[in-house]
Amino acid sequence: MCDSCGCHIPEHATPQTVDVHESLLAANTKQAKENRRHLDEMGAIAINLISSPGSGKTTLLEHTIQHLRDEITIGVIEGDIETERDADRIKKQGAPAIQITTGGACHLDARLVHKGLHQLQHEASTSKFDIIFIENVGNLVCPATFDLGEHERIVLISVPEGSDKPAKYPKAFTSSQIFLITKTDLLQYFDFSTEEAKTEAMKLNPALRILELSSTTEKGFEEWLSYLRQLVKR
Amino acid sequence: MHEFSLAQGLFTQLHQLAETNQAKKIITVRVEIGKLSGIVVDSFSFGFEVLSQESDLTKKSVLEITEIEPQHRCLDCGAIFNHIDQIPNICPECSSLKLIHHGGDDLVLTQIEME
Repeated sequence: MCDSCGCHIPEHATPQTVDVHESLLAANTKQAKENRRHLDEMGAIAINLISSPGSGKTTLLEHTIQHLRDEITIGVIEGDIETERDADRIKKQGAPAIQITTGGACHLDARLVHKGLHQLQHEASTSKFDIIFIENVGNLVCPATFDLGEHERIVLISVPEGSDKPAKYPKAFTSSQIFLITKTDLLQYFDFSTEEAKTEAMKLNPALRILELSSTTEKGFEEWLSYLRQLVKR
Repeated sequence: MHEFSLAQGLFTQLHQLAETNQAKKIITVRVEIGKLSGIVVDSFSFGFEVLSQESDLTKKSVLEITEIEPQHRCLDCGAIFNHIDQIPNICPECSSLKLIHHGGDDLVLTQIEME
């Protein structure tokens, strides 16, 4: 007989309430912590680059490597849905790079980056890196939710995209340390208000540091490079 | 777009919890979604609806979502407050614009009812 209601069904089920209180992002956060520990052991600073497709992430990296390759050891983990094109572009600049193709996923997660780190060490036949750039899948939305174990997160907006992007995509800005405005050589052709972009971004995250540059003319590059040099010294 | 994969993670956990507690049916699933988590409530619910039909354990499960507001702290006067909007513009105490947020950025499975 059933204990709870006295009926004659032997296995009469009683509803039970179970308190769980577990984060569904916890698995990713745990792996991200592990990645950070791994990076710290390697002595490398990891930088996660988040932006829409076409904001100039890969071009920025190409120019950055050209300037710093003799003083800073750089490695790159490229995330894309398909193709190895971005990794090939980085390798041409003389830095080791590996490509993670997500096969459709809209963001990198900590597990993919964990694999990427091992691949990068294998590709370069060394664990000695000063900076590892992680170029996320071009997407201003989903990557913002996933900690990869990076030390610095940079959000990029290019001038043709418009200065209303910070207000429209807040999460990428609240979770970043640096806001890079790219393609500033195009300011004269587009209705982009640097003031609006900065004000909106600062409202979301007052601790944000904002840099403006053009990879084509390399205007603003000195400040960007000195930021990277400071990171390595830290 | 990642809501579906997060919902898949939830179902993996539901199946494990049902096995541990020897339950045959999950009645209610309660989750908290932070307003700054970047997770779209409607998309997450849709993922839940679709995936719940894949097993008898969850076929009739109901998803209850509580949205969590982030707290904001003023960097100038230290005031801590909840705000009705996702993006506050101004500190209610000192009118400063320098506000940083705390919490409201997670997705948490809080409670399950099962039998």
